[in-house]
Amino acid sequence: MDRKKLTYWALGVGALLTTVGFLLAFLVASPTQMMRTTDSGKGAIIAGSYISHLIDYGQKIFFFHVPVAIASFLVFFFAAYFAVRFLMTRDRMYDTKARIAMEVTLIFTTLTMLTGDLWTRWAWGVWWTWEPRLTTYLIMLLLVIGYFVLRASVEDEEKRAVYAAAFSIIAFLDAPISFAITRIVPAGSEAHPVVIGVPGGLSGEQLAAFLLAMFGMLAFGYVIYQLRSREELAKERIEALKAALED
Amino acid sequence: MAGTPTAAGIKRTSSWRQFKAILRKDIVMELRTFEMLTSMGLYTLLTLVIYQIALSQSGSAFDVRQIAAGLLWLAFVFTSMLGLNRSLVHEKDQGCLEALLLSPVDRPVIFFAKATGNLIFLLIVEVLTIPLFFGMFLTRPIVGDWWMIPIAMFVGAVGIAGVGTLLATISVNTRGRDFILAVLFIPIMFPLLLSVVGATSVVIYGPLDPGLFWRDIGLAAAYDAIMLLAAFGLYEFVISA
Repeated sequence: MDRKKLTYWALGVGALLTTVGFLLAFLVASPTQMMRTTDSGKGAIIAGSYISHLIDYGQKIFFFHVPVAIASFLVFFFAAYFAVRFLMTRDRMYDTKARIAMEVTLIFTTLTMLTGDLWTRWAWGVWWTWEPRLTTYLIMLLLVIGYFVLRASVEDEEKRAVYAAAFSIIAFLDAPISFAITRIVPAGSEAHPVVIGVPGGLSGEQLAAFLLAMFGMLAFGYVIYQLRSREELAKERIEALKAALED
Repeated sequence: MAGTPTAAGIKRTSSWRQFKAILRKDIVMELRTFEMLTSMGLYTLLTLVIYQIALSQSGSAFDVRQIAAGLLWLAFVFTSMLGLNRSLVHEKDQGCLEALLLSPVDRPVIFFAKATGNLIFLLIVEVLTIPLFFGMFLTRPIVGDWWMIPIAMFVGAVGIAGVGTLLATISVNTRGRDFILAVLFIPIMFPLLLSVVGATSVVIYGPLDPGLFWRDIGLAAAYDAIMLLAAFGLYEFVISA
Protein backbone atom coordinates (compact mmCIF):
# COMPACT_ATOMS: atom_id res chain seq x y z
CA MET A 1 0.00 0.00 0.00
CA ASP A 2 1.45 3.36 -0.89
CA ARG A 3 1.69 6.20 1.53
CA LYS A 4 -1.14 8.23 0.01
CA LYS A 5 -3.59 5.37 0.36
CA LEU A 6 -2.38 4.64 3.87
CA THR A 7 -2.98 8.27 4.84
CA TYR A 8 -6.59 8.15 3.68
CA TRP A 9 -7.10 4.85 5.42
CA ALA A 10 -5.66 6.28 8.60
CA LEU A 11 -7.96 9.28 8.26
CA GLY A 12 -10.99 7.01 7.98
CA VAL A 13 -9.88 4.78 10.82
CA GLY A 14 -9.08 7.77 13.01
CA ALA A 15 -12.47 9.36 12.39
CA LEU A 16 -14.26 6.09 13.05
CA LEU A 17 -12.34 5.18 16.20
CA THR A 18 -12.58 8.60 17.82
CA THR A 19 -16.30 8.89 16.99
CA VAL A 20 -17.08 5.45 18.38
CA GLY A 21 -14.84 6.12 21.36
CA PHE A 22 -16.59 9.41 22.20
CA LEU A 23 -20.06 7.89 21.69
CA LEU A 24 -19.10 5.04 23.98
CA ALA A 25 -17.76 7.50 26.51
CA PHE A 26 -20.97 9.53 26.59
CA LEU A 27 -23.60 6.84 26.11
CA VAL A 28 -22.24 3.66 27.62
CA ALA A 29 -19.44 4.33 30.06
CA SER A 30 -20.84 5.36 33.42
CA PRO A 31 -19.33 8.27 35.28
CA THR A 32 -17.29 6.98 38.16
CA GLN A 33 -15.05 8.17 40.88
CA MET A 34 -12.08 8.31 38.58
CA MET A 35 -10.53 11.34 40.17
CA ARG A 36 -7.98 10.09 42.58
CA THR A 37 -7.06 13.52 43.82
CA THR A 38 -4.41 12.66 46.37
CA ASP A 39 -2.54 9.61 47.49
CA SER A 40 -4.95 9.19 50.37
CA GLY A 41 -7.79 9.41 47.86
CA LYS A 42 -9.51 12.14 49.80
CA GLY A 43 -9.31 15.29 47.71
CA ALA A 44 -6.94 18.22 47.48
CA ILE A 45 -6.59 21.89 48.26
CA ILE A 46 -6.60 23.96 45.09
CA ALA A 47 -6.28 27.74 45.32
CA GLY A 48 -7.23 27.68 48.96
CA SER A 49 -10.41 25.64 48.71
CA TYR A 50 -11.01 21.98 49.23
CA ILE A 51 -11.83 20.02 46.10
CA SER A 52 -13.43 16.65 46.58
CA HIS A 53 -14.14 13.97 44.03
CA LEU A 54 -16.66 15.17 41.55
CA ILE A 55 -18.83 12.67 39.81
CA ASP A 56 -20.28 14.51 36.88
CA TYR A 57 -20.17 14.81 33.15
CA GLY A 58 -17.13 17.08 33.31
CA GLN A 59 -14.95 14.01 33.41
CA LYS A 60 -16.05 13.04 29.89
CA ILE A 61 -13.41 15.42 28.58
CA PHE A 62 -10.96 12.78 29.79
CA PHE A 63 -11.64 10.80 26.65
CA PHE A 64 -10.33 13.64 24.54
CA HIS A 65 -7.76 15.13 26.87
CA VAL A 66 -5.70 12.03 27.62
CA PRO A 67 -5.53 10.66 24.05
CA VAL A 68 -4.22 13.97 22.68
CA ALA A 69 -1.76 14.19 25.58
CA ILE A 70 -0.41 10.72 24.84
CA ALA A 71 -0.27 11.50 21.14
CA SER A 72 1.67 14.70 21.86
CA PHE A 73 4.36 12.79 23.76
CA LEU A 74 4.63 10.25 20.99
CA VAL A 75 5.07 12.82 18.21
CA PHE A 76 7.53 14.71 20.38
CA PHE A 77 9.55 11.53 20.57
CA PHE A 78 9.48 11.22 16.80
CA ALA A 79 10.58 14.83 16.40
CA ALA A 80 13.60 14.14 18.61
CA TYR A 81 14.26 10.88 16.77
CA PHE A 82 14.28 12.65 13.40
CA ALA A 83 16.56 15.29 14.89
CA VAL A 84 19.06 12.59 15.88
CA ARG A 85 18.78 11.05 12.42
CA PHE A 86 19.43 14.45 10.89
CA LEU A 87 22.59 15.01 12.90
CA MET A 88 23.77 11.52 11.96
CA THR A 89 23.07 11.74 8.24
CA ARG A 90 22.91 15.48 7.49
CA ASP A 91 20.03 14.65 5.19
CA ARG A 92 17.73 17.65 4.85
CA MET A 93 14.73 15.38 4.58
CA TYR A 94 15.09 14.49 8.26
CA ASP A 95 15.13 18.14 9.20
CA THR A 96 11.84 18.64 7.38
CA LYS A 97 10.41 15.54 9.04
CA ALA A 98 11.51 16.72 12.47
CA ARG A 99 9.97 20.13 11.89
CA ILE A 100 6.65 18.66 10.79
CA ALA A 101 6.61 16.28 13.74
CA MET A 102 7.26 19.30 15.95
CA GLU A 103 4.31 21.11 14.34
CA VAL A 104 2.07 18.16 15.15
CA THR A 105 3.46 18.22 18.69
CA LEU A 106 2.51 21.88 18.91
CA ILE A 107 -1.05 21.14 17.78
CA PHE A 108 -1.51 18.28 20.24
CA THR A 109 0.18 20.08 23.11
CA THR A 110 -2.05 23.11 22.57
CA LEU A 111 -5.12 20.88 22.44
CA THR A 112 -4.08 19.16 25.66
CA MET A 113 -3.57 22.51 27.36
CA LEU A 114 -6.94 23.82 26.17
CA THR A 115 -8.95 20.76 27.16
CA GLY A 116 -7.04 20.42 30.40
CA ASP A 117 -7.76 24.04 31.18
CA LEU A 118 -11.48 23.62 30.60
CA TRP A 119 -11.45 20.60 32.86
CA THR A 120 -9.43 22.41 35.51
CA ARG A 121 -11.93 25.27 35.53
CA TRP A 122 -14.84 22.86 35.80
CA ALA A 123 -13.49 20.40 38.32
CA TRP A 124 -11.19 22.54 40.44
CA GLY A 125 -12.75 25.96 39.98
CA VAL A 126 -9.58 27.65 38.76
CA TRP A 127 -8.18 28.36 35.31
CA TRP A 128 -4.70 27.52 36.36
CA THR A 129 -2.87 25.91 39.22
CA TRP A 130 0.81 25.02 39.50
CA GLU A 131 0.16 21.35 39.75
CA PRO A 132 3.10 19.13 38.64
CA ARG A 133 1.54 17.84 35.45
CA LEU A 134 0.17 21.20 34.43
CA THR A 135 3.54 22.78 35.09
CA THR A 136 5.39 20.15 33.08
CA TYR A 137 2.97 20.55 30.24
CA LEU A 138 3.38 24.31 30.20
CA ILE A 139 7.15 23.86 30.09
CA MET A 140 6.78 21.41 27.22
CA LEU A 141 4.59 23.86 25.34
CA LEU A 142 7.18 26.60 25.91
CA LEU A 143 9.94 24.31 24.62
CA VAL A 144 8.00 23.59 21.45
CA ILE A 145 7.29 27.29 20.96
CA GLY A 146 10.97 28.00 21.61
CA TYR A 147 11.85 25.54 18.86
CA PHE A 148 9.86 27.52 16.32
CA VAL A 149 11.10 30.88 17.60
CA LEU A 150 14.62 29.56 17.15
CA ARG A 151 13.93 28.35 13.63
CA ALA A 152 12.42 31.67 12.66
CA SER A 153 15.46 33.60 13.77
CA VAL A 154 18.16 31.77 11.83
CA GLU A 155 18.63 32.70 8.19
CA ASP A 156 21.15 30.12 7.09
CA GLU A 157 19.42 26.87 6.19
CA GLU A 158 22.18 24.53 7.31
CA LYS A 159 22.64 26.31 10.63
CA ARG A 160 18.92 26.45 11.25
CA ALA A 161 18.61 22.72 10.79
CA VAL A 162 21.52 21.89 13.11
CA TYR A 163 20.46 24.30 15.85
CA ALA A 164 16.86 23.15 15.71
CA ALA A 165 17.96 19.51 15.91
CA ALA A 166 20.26 20.18 18.87
CA PHE A 167 17.59 22.12 20.71
CA SER A 168 14.86 19.55 20.12
CA ILE A 169 17.10 16.79 21.52
CA ILE A 170 17.86 18.86 24.63
CA ALA A 171 14.17 19.73 24.94
CA PHE A 172 13.13 16.10 24.64
CA LEU A 173 15.52 15.19 27.47
CA ASP A 174 14.29 18.10 29.53
CA ALA A 175 10.59 17.18 29.41
CA PRO A 176 10.74 13.92 31.42
CA ILE A 177 13.21 15.44 33.90
CA SER A 178 10.87 18.31 34.57
CA PHE A 179 8.02 15.81 34.85
CA ALA A 180 9.93 13.98 37.57
CA ILE A 181 11.23 17.02 39.39
CA THR A 182 7.95 18.92 39.47
CA ARG A 183 6.43 15.91 41.20
CA ILE A 184 9.19 15.46 43.76
CA VAL A 185 10.32 18.91 44.80
CA PRO A 186 7.34 21.18 45.56
CA ALA A 187 5.69 20.93 48.92
CA GLY A 188 2.17 21.23 47.47
CA SER A 189 -0.26 18.41 46.91
CA GLU A 190 -0.74 16.55 43.70
CA ALA A 191 -4.23 17.07 42.37
CA HIS A 192 -4.16 15.68 38.87
CA PRO A 193 -6.23 12.50 38.55
CA VAL A 194 -4.30 9.30 37.98
CA VAL A 195 -6.39 6.58 36.39
CA ILE A 196 -4.05 4.35 34.49
CA GLY A 197 -2.37 1.63 36.49
CA VAL A 198 -4.25 2.27 39.73
CA PRO A 199 -6.81 -0.12 41.22
CA GLY A 200 -10.36 0.91 40.46
CA GLY A 201 -9.16 3.32 37.74
CA LEU A 202 -11.12 2.61 34.61
CA SER A 203 -14.01 0.22 34.20
CA GLY A 204 -14.22 -2.09 31.21
CA GLU A 205 -16.35 0.12 28.99
CA GLN A 206 -14.42 3.22 29.99
CA LEU A 207 -11.18 1.53 29.08
CA ALA A 208 -12.65 0.49 25.72
CA ALA A 209 -13.82 4.04 25.00
CA PHE A 210 -10.46 5.42 26.06
CA LEU A 211 -8.43 3.01 23.95
CA LEU A 212 -10.59 3.62 20.87
CA ALA A 213 -10.23 7.37 21.27
CA MET A 214 -6.51 7.01 21.84
CA PHE A 215 -5.78 4.92 18.78
CA GLY A 216 -8.05 7.19 16.76
CA MET A 217 -6.06 10.19 17.93
CA LEU A 218 -2.75 8.51 17.06
CA ALA A 219 -4.13 7.81 13.59
CA PHE A 220 -5.05 11.49 13.29
CA GLY A 221 -1.55 12.44 14.34
CA TYR A 222 -0.19 10.28 11.54
CA VAL A 223 -2.62 11.80 9.05
CA ILE A 224 -1.72 15.38 9.93
CA TYR A 225 1.95 14.49 9.72
CA GLN A 226 1.57 12.85 6.31
CA LEU A 227 -0.56 15.60 4.83
CA ARG A 228 1.91 18.26 5.98
CA SER A 229 4.77 16.19 4.57
CA ARG A 230 3.10 16.04 1.20
CA GLU A 231 2.52 19.78 1.27
CA GLU A 232 6.18 20.38 2.08
CA LEU A 233 7.30 17.99 -0.61
CA ALA A 234 5.13 19.75 -3.18
CA LYS A 235 6.52 23.08 -2.02
CA GLU A 236 10.08 21.87 -2.43
CA ARG A 237 9.33 20.60 -5.91
CA ILE A 238 7.84 23.95 -6.89
CA GLU A 239 10.94 25.72 -5.57
CA ALA A 240 13.16 23.36 -7.54
CA LEU A 241 11.11 23.94 -10.70
CA LYS A 242 11.25 27.69 -10.20
CA ALA A 243 15.00 27.54 -9.80
CA ALA A 244 15.28 25.42 -12.93
CA LEU A 245 13.16 27.90 -14.90
CA GLU A 246 15.30 30.82 -13.85
CA ASP A 247 18.49 29.17 -15.08
CA MET B 1 53.82 13.77 33.99
CA ALA B 2 53.77 16.84 31.78
CA GLY B 3 56.05 16.62 28.83
CA THR B 4 56.60 12.87 28.96
CA PRO B 5 57.62 11.98 25.41
CA THR B 6 55.23 9.04 25.01
CA ALA B 7 52.46 9.37 22.46
CA ALA B 8 49.68 9.03 25.01
CA GLY B 9 51.38 11.44 27.36
CA ILE B 10 51.75 14.12 24.73
CA LYS B 11 48.15 13.81 23.67
CA ARG B 12 46.78 14.11 27.16
CA THR B 13 49.02 17.03 27.99
CA SER B 14 48.04 18.83 24.83
CA SER B 15 44.27 18.51 25.43
CA TRP B 16 44.75 19.80 28.92
CA ARG B 17 46.96 22.58 27.58
CA GLN B 18 44.38 23.56 24.99
CA PHE B 19 41.81 23.70 27.73
CA LYS B 20 44.06 25.87 29.88
CA ALA B 21 44.93 28.14 26.97
CA ILE B 22 41.30 28.88 26.08
CA LEU B 23 40.35 29.34 29.71
CA ARG B 24 43.32 31.63 30.29
CA LYS B 25 42.41 33.67 27.23
CA ASP B 26 38.93 34.26 28.65
CA ILE B 27 40.23 35.16 32.08
CA VAL B 28 42.98 37.45 30.76
CA MET B 29 40.48 39.19 28.50
CA GLU B 30 38.20 39.67 31.46
CA LEU B 31 40.98 40.94 33.72
CA ARG B 32 41.88 43.59 31.16
CA THR B 33 38.43 45.11 30.98
CA PHE B 34 36.37 43.58 33.82
CA GLU B 35 33.53 44.01 31.39
CA MET B 36 31.58 40.85 32.13
CA LEU B 37 32.01 40.94 35.89
CA THR B 38 31.03 44.60 36.17
CA SER B 39 28.02 44.20 33.94
CA MET B 40 26.87 41.01 35.69
CA GLY B 41 27.52 42.42 39.15
CA LEU B 42 25.79 45.70 38.41
CA TYR B 43 22.86 43.88 36.88
CA THR B 44 22.51 41.75 40.01
CA LEU B 45 22.66 44.86 42.19
CA LEU B 46 19.90 46.45 40.11
CA THR B 47 17.84 43.27 40.49
CA LEU B 48 18.22 43.57 44.26
CA VAL B 49 16.98 47.16 44.06
CA ILE B 50 13.94 45.92 42.17
CA TYR B 51 13.38 43.34 44.91
CA GLN B 52 13.27 46.19 47.37
CA ILE B 53 10.51 47.79 45.27
CA ALA B 54 8.65 44.49 45.05
CA LEU B 55 8.88 43.93 48.81
CA SER B 56 8.35 47.56 49.80
CA GLN B 57 4.69 47.07 50.71
CA SER B 58 5.04 43.73 52.46
CA GLY B 59 5.51 45.15 55.95
CA SER B 60 7.71 43.95 58.76
CA ALA B 61 5.55 40.95 59.60
CA PHE B 62 6.39 39.32 56.30
CA ASP B 63 9.19 36.79 56.55
CA VAL B 64 11.39 37.26 53.49
CA ARG B 65 13.04 33.91 54.18
CA GLN B 66 9.98 32.20 52.74
CA ILE B 67 10.82 33.41 49.25
CA ALA B 68 14.50 34.24 49.69
CA ALA B 69 15.80 31.19 47.81
CA GLY B 70 13.63 31.99 44.82
CA LEU B 71 14.70 35.64 44.80
CA LEU B 72 18.35 34.69 45.00
CA TRP B 73 18.14 32.28 42.09
CA LEU B 74 16.06 34.68 40.06
CA ALA B 75 18.91 37.19 40.27
CA PHE B 76 21.40 34.52 39.20
CA VAL B 77 19.29 33.37 36.28
CA PHE B 78 19.00 36.83 34.84
CA THR B 79 22.60 37.76 35.38
CA SER B 80 23.81 34.43 33.99
CA MET B 81 21.85 34.97 30.80
CA LEU B 82 23.55 38.34 30.45
CA GLY B 83 26.97 36.80 31.08
CA LEU B 84 26.47 33.80 28.79
CA ASN B 85 25.38 36.02 25.97
CA ARG B 86 28.35 38.33 26.55
CA SER B 87 30.90 35.55 26.63
CA LEU B 88 29.85 34.24 23.23
CA VAL B 89 29.18 37.61 21.62
CA HIS B 90 32.83 38.51 22.20
CA GLU B 91 33.96 35.34 20.51
CA LYS B 92 31.64 35.82 17.60
CA ASP B 93 31.99 39.53 16.88
CA GLN B 94 35.76 39.65 17.12
CA GLY B 95 36.14 36.58 14.96
CA CYS B 96 37.70 34.66 17.81
CA LEU B 97 35.37 31.72 17.40
CA GLU B 98 36.46 31.21 13.80
CA ALA B 99 40.08 31.36 14.81
CA LEU B 100 39.41 28.78 17.50
CA LEU B 101 37.74 26.52 14.97
CA LEU B 102 40.64 26.90 12.55
CA SER B 103 43.21 26.02 15.18
CA PRO B 104 43.82 22.33 15.86
CA VAL B 105 41.77 22.26 19.05
CA ASP B 106 39.40 19.42 19.86
CA ARG B 107 35.80 20.63 19.82
CA PRO B 108 34.96 19.12 23.23
CA VAL B 109 37.87 21.08 24.69
CA ILE B 110 36.32 24.31 23.43
CA PHE B 111 33.06 23.37 25.11
CA PHE B 112 34.62 22.55 28.45
CA ALA B 113 36.88 25.60 28.41
CA LYS B 114 34.06 28.00 27.59
CA ALA B 115 31.74 26.36 30.10
CA THR B 116 34.40 26.48 32.81
CA GLY B 117 35.05 30.14 32.09
CA ASN B 118 31.36 30.91 32.38
CA LEU B 119 31.16 28.85 35.55
CA ILE B 120 34.01 30.80 37.15
CA PHE B 121 32.46 34.18 36.34
CA LEU B 122 29.06 33.06 37.55
CA LEU B 123 30.55 31.74 40.80
CA ILE B 124 32.37 35.02 41.41
CA VAL B 125 29.11 36.93 40.94
CA GLU B 126 27.31 34.50 43.26
CA VAL B 127 29.95 34.84 45.96
CA LEU B 128 29.66 38.62 45.79
CA THR B 129 25.86 38.61 45.68
CA ILE B 130 25.00 36.24 48.50
CA PRO B 131 26.36 38.33 51.41
CA LEU B 132 24.87 41.43 49.84
CA PHE B 133 21.47 39.77 49.54
CA PHE B 134 21.59 38.41 53.07
CA GLY B 135 22.60 41.75 54.50
CA MET B 136 19.97 43.66 52.58
CA PHE B 137 16.96 41.41 52.92
CA LEU B 138 17.34 38.77 55.60
CA THR B 139 16.80 40.11 59.08
CA ARG B 140 16.24 36.70 60.66
CA PRO B 141 18.88 33.98 60.83
CA ILE B 142 18.80 31.08 58.41
CA VAL B 143 17.78 27.75 59.88
CA GLY B 144 20.36 25.46 58.23
CA ASP B 145 24.13 25.37 58.18
CA TRP B 146 25.70 28.11 56.09
CA TRP B 147 28.02 25.75 54.18
CA MET B 148 25.04 24.10 52.54
CA ILE B 149 24.34 27.23 50.50
CA PRO B 150 27.61 27.13 48.51
CA ILE B 151 26.88 23.50 47.64
CA ALA B 152 23.49 24.40 46.19
CA MET B 153 25.00 27.41 44.43
CA PHE B 154 27.75 25.31 42.88
CA VAL B 155 25.47 22.51 41.65
CA GLY B 156 23.11 25.06 40.13
CA ALA B 157 25.90 27.07 38.55
CA VAL B 158 27.39 23.96 36.89
CA GLY B 159 24.12 23.25 35.11
CA ILE B 160 23.58 26.87 34.14
CA ALA B 161 27.10 27.26 32.77
CA GLY B 162 27.14 23.89 30.98
CA VAL B 163 23.80 23.93 29.20
CA GLY B 164 23.93 27.72 28.97
CA THR B 165 27.15 27.57 26.98
CA LEU B 166 25.51 25.33 24.39
CA LEU B 167 22.37 27.47 24.18
CA ALA B 168 24.37 30.71 24.02
CA THR B 169 26.48 29.29 21.21
CA ILE B 170 23.23 28.66 19.36
CA SER B 171 21.59 31.96 20.17
CA VAL B 172 24.62 34.08 19.33
CA ASN B 173 24.21 33.02 15.71
CA THR B 174 20.59 34.06 15.50
CA ARG B 175 18.80 37.34 15.02
CA GLY B 176 17.72 38.78 18.37
CA ARG B 177 20.44 37.02 20.37
CA ASP B 178 19.53 37.75 23.98
CA PHE B 179 15.83 37.24 23.39
CA ILE B 180 16.41 33.86 21.78
CA LEU B 181 18.69 32.86 24.63
CA ALA B 182 15.93 33.63 27.15
CA VAL B 183 13.33 31.70 25.15
CA LEU B 184 15.55 28.63 24.99
CA PHE B 185 17.22 28.93 28.37
CA ILE B 186 14.36 29.39 30.83
CA PRO B 187 12.22 26.34 29.95
CA ILE B 188 15.29 24.12 29.68
CA MET B 189 16.54 25.33 33.07
CA PHE B 190 13.18 24.93 34.77
CA PRO B 191 13.75 21.54 36.47
CA LEU B 192 17.23 22.49 37.64
CA LEU B 193 16.07 25.79 39.10
CA LEU B 194 13.15 24.15 40.83
CA SER B 195 15.41 21.67 42.58
CA VAL B 196 18.16 24.14 43.57
CA VAL B 197 15.58 26.60 44.83
CA GLY B 198 14.13 23.73 46.85
CA ALA B 199 17.54 22.91 48.31
CA THR B 200 18.40 26.54 49.05
CA SER B 201 15.03 27.12 50.65
CA VAL B 202 15.54 24.18 52.99
CA VAL B 203 18.69 25.88 54.27
CA ILE B 204 17.26 29.40 54.54
CA TYR B 205 13.74 28.74 55.74
CA GLY B 206 13.40 25.06 56.52
CA PRO B 207 12.02 22.57 57.35
CA LEU B 208 15.43 21.66 58.70
CA ASP B 209 15.79 18.25 57.13
CA PRO B 210 19.15 17.27 55.63
CA GLY B 211 17.43 14.46 53.75
CA LEU B 212 15.27 16.97 51.91
CA PHE B 213 18.31 19.10 51.10
CA TRP B 214 20.36 16.20 49.75
CA ARG B 215 17.41 14.87 47.78
CA ASP B 216 17.09 18.18 45.95
CA ILE B 217 20.85 18.44 45.46
CA GLY B 218 20.81 14.90 44.09
CA LEU B 219 18.07 15.77 41.61
CA ALA B 220 19.95 18.87 40.51
CA ALA B 221 23.16 16.87 40.17
CA ALA B 222 21.35 14.25 38.09
CA TYR B 223 20.04 17.01 35.84
CA ASP B 224 23.58 18.38 35.54
CA ALA B 225 24.98 14.99 34.61
CA ILE B 226 22.36 14.22 31.93
CA MET B 227 22.27 17.68 30.43
CA LEU B 228 26.02 18.21 30.47
CA LEU B 229 26.50 14.94 28.63
CA ALA B 230 23.89 15.94 26.06
CA ALA B 231 25.33 19.45 25.68
CA PHE B 232 28.82 18.00 25.36
CA GLY B 233 27.65 15.58 22.68
CA LEU B 234 25.75 18.22 20.72
CA TYR B 235 28.33 21.01 20.99
CA GLU B 236 30.48 19.69 18.19
CA PHE B 237 27.56 19.80 15.76
CA VAL B 238 26.46 23.24 16.88
CA ILE B 239 29.84 24.90 16.79
CA SER B 240 30.77 23.48 13.39
CA ALA B 241 27.47 24.47 11.76
